[in-house]
Amino acid sequence: MMVAGIDVGAATAKAVILSDESVTGSVVIPTGYDVSTAAESVIREALENSGRKIQELSFVVSTGYGRNAVALSNKAITEIICHACGVNWMVPEARTVIDIGGQDSKVIGIDDKGNVDNFVMNDKCAAGTGRFLEVMSKVLGIGIDNMGRISLQGTEPCSISSTCTVFAESEMVILRARGESRENIIAGIHKAMAHRVALMGRSVGFRKEVVFTGGVAKNEGMKKALEDELSLEILVPEEPQIMGALGAALLARAEAARRLD
Amino acid sequence: MNKQSKGMAKVERYYENYGSRARELSAEGKKVIGYVCSFAPLEMITASGCIPFRLRGDIHEPITKGDTLLETIVCPYYRSCFDLAVKHRYEFLSGMVIPHACDSMVRSFSVWSYSLNLPYFQFVNTPSVVKDSSFEFFNEELKTYKKSLEEFVGKKITDDDLAGAIQLHNENRNKARAVYEFRKPDPPLITGQELAKTLLACSSLPIEESNRLLDEVLEEVGQRKKSPLGKGPRILIDGACIDNAELAGLVEDLGASVVADTICNGSRDYWPKVDEKKPPIEALADRYLDKLNCPKTYRENKTGNFEEDIKARFADIGFTAKEFQVDGAIIYLYRYCDPFGFEVPARKAYYELIHVPLLHLEDLYSAGTIGQLRTRIQAFLEMIG
Repeated sequence: MMVAGIDVGAATAKAVILSDESVTGSVVIPTGYDVSTAAESVIREALENSGRKIQELSFVVSTGYGRNAVALSNKAITEIICHACGVNWMVPEARTVIDIGGQDSKVIGIDDKGNVDNFVMNDKCAAGTGRFLEVMSKVLGIGIDNMGRISLQGTEPCSISSTCTVFAESEMVILRARGESRENIIAGIHKAMAHRVALMGRSVGFRKEVVFTGGVAKNEGMKKALEDELSLEILVPEEPQIMGALGAALLARAEAARRLD
Repeated sequence: MNKQSKGMAKVERYYENYGSRARELSAEGKKVIGYVCSFAPLEMITASGCIPFRLRGDIHEPITKGDTLLETIVCPYYRSCFDLAVKHRYEFLSGMVIPHACDSMVRSFSVWSYSLNLPYFQFVNTPSVVKDSSFEFFNEELKTYKKSLEEFVGKKITDDDLAGAIQLHNENRNKARAVYEFRKPDPPLITGQELAKTLLACSSLPIEESNRLLDEVLEEVGQRKKSPLGKGPRILIDGACIDNAELAGLVEDLGASVVADTICNGSRDYWPKVDEKKPPIEALADRYLDKLNCPKTYRENKTGNFEEDIKARFADIGFTAKEFQVDGAIIYLYRYCDPFGFEVPARKAYYELIHVPLLHLEDLYSAGTIGQLRTRIQAFLEMIG
C-alpha cells in the first residue's frame, strides 16, 4: 500500500511517500505565494524521487496551515496531531515535542502511543519563529544556515529583550553600534527565543524525551539554547522538517487500512 | 415561509440588523437605555417604562475613532462597543447604564459619558466583594439608581412596577433556560450558533417582545425531529462577553457541537433569577450582587485551601458540564480581560479536577484571527475525539 502526507507550512511545503513500512520519498520546497501550487509541486517531486505514480496513492492526508488547499487530500488533520504522530514513530520514547516552524511555534505533550494530551501554540504574531530568525540573519548579513554554527562560538550571549521582529531589529542596530560580536548577538537571539518557548510551554511541561522538530531544529545553536534554558537534553531527528508530513503519511496509512477493513 | 420557521427567521433578522427594533421604537418616542455587562439591573429600566438594550461590538469593524478616545489597554471587546457608540451605530439611545464590573468599565465611564453626551447616564456601583456590608450598601445604591431613572422619565417607580418587571424578566430567564434543554440530546436539537443568535436577538428587544420571540423559537425548535448537526464532541464555551455566533460557528464547522456555556451572553446572565417573594429592591440586590458568577466578584475563601476554594468558586461549571454531558471545554478570552485574566490558572486547575479537557484561547476582538483559532480548535477536537 502506498500513501502520502503533505505538510503545507507558512515557509515550506513538505511531502512524504510511505510504501508499506518504509519512507520511499521525501521533499521540502518553499511554499511561495500559491499554496495549492506548492502542494501539487511537492507531491509531484516526491513521487518522481520514489519513481512512483500518483494513481498508486491509496490515501493522502494534508496538514499545515495550507491543509485545506490541497486538492489531492483525502483528509486534513492539524499539524499538532501530525507532528506528534511522526515523532512517535521516529522516537517512541518522546513525551514532548517542541516544533518551531516558519510562522509558529508549539509545544506538544504526547503519550507512549503518540496521542496528544496537551498542546500550546504561539499567538498570532510570528515573534520567535523561523521568520524571526530569517529577518535577523538578513539584518546581521549572514546566511540563515550559518546562524547555528556561528552562535556556538559566542561566549557571552547578548541580552535581547524582545522577540518581536520589529523591536529586535532596532535592538540589533544598538548592539552592533556598541561593538558586540556577531557570535554573541546570535547566541543572544537564540537565548531569547528559547526563553520564549520555555515560558509558552510551561503549562504543557517538558517531559523526557524532548524532541525538537521543524525547520528551526536544524539550527544547532537553537538546540543548545533550548537545552541550556530547560536544563535537559534535546533530541533532534535526522530530518526534523518533515516530521509533520511523516505523521500525516502515517495517519494516511492508518486511515487507508481502516477503510480496507 | 411556513409558520413553523418564523422564530429562527426573526432571530436571524434581529441578529443581523442588531438594534433595528430599538431604532423603530425610539422613532415612535420610546426611550431606549443602552447597557453593557450582565451586572446592569435591567428590571429597573423596564419598570421605568424605558427599554433596555444591550450594546454589542462588531468583530468585522476595525476600531478607529474609539481608539482616539480610549487607550488600547482596555479590552478589545469593550473598545469595539465604545467605537461603535461614538461612530453613531446606536444613535437611537436616550441613555446608558454602566455597572461597576471590570476595571475597563469603571475607568472609562467618564469617557463614555462625555463622548456620547446622552440625556441619561448612570454608573451603578455594584460591589465587587460579597459581604454583609455589601448588601447594605447595594440596597442603597439601587435606590439611588431608581431615583435617577424616576427623575429622567418624570414618574415614580412603584414597588408594583418593579414586581411586574421582575416577573417579566424572570419569565424571560425561564424561557431562555428552556431553550437550553434542546441542547441535551446528542446531537443537540439546536445549534450553538442558533442559541447564541437567539439570546443576542433577545437582548436587543423590549422584554415582552423578547419573551414572545423565545416562545416562537421554543415552538419551532420543539417541532424538530432531527438535529441540524452531526454527532461530534460536545463542547462547553467558558468565557466573558461573546457577543457573536462566530466562535460557535467555527467549532460546529469543525464537527463538534456547542452544548453549554458560562458566558455573559448566555447562562451567566440568563440562568440566575430574582426571588419574587422578597421585597423588590432587596431581591434585585441579592441577584445582582451574589447570583451572577463572574470573576469580577470576590468571595472569601473560608476553607483555607486551594482545592476547596476552586470547588466553591467554579461549582457551576462542574454542574453544567455534567448536566449537558460535555466532552471538552474552551476558555475563550480577550486579551487584556482583567477579571478573567487573573483567574485563568485557577480555572484551569478546576477543569483538571473535574477531568474535562480544556483548550485556552486568547484572542483579539477581530474576524481576522479566525484562521489561527481554527487550527487550535481543530487540533483540540482531534485530541479529545
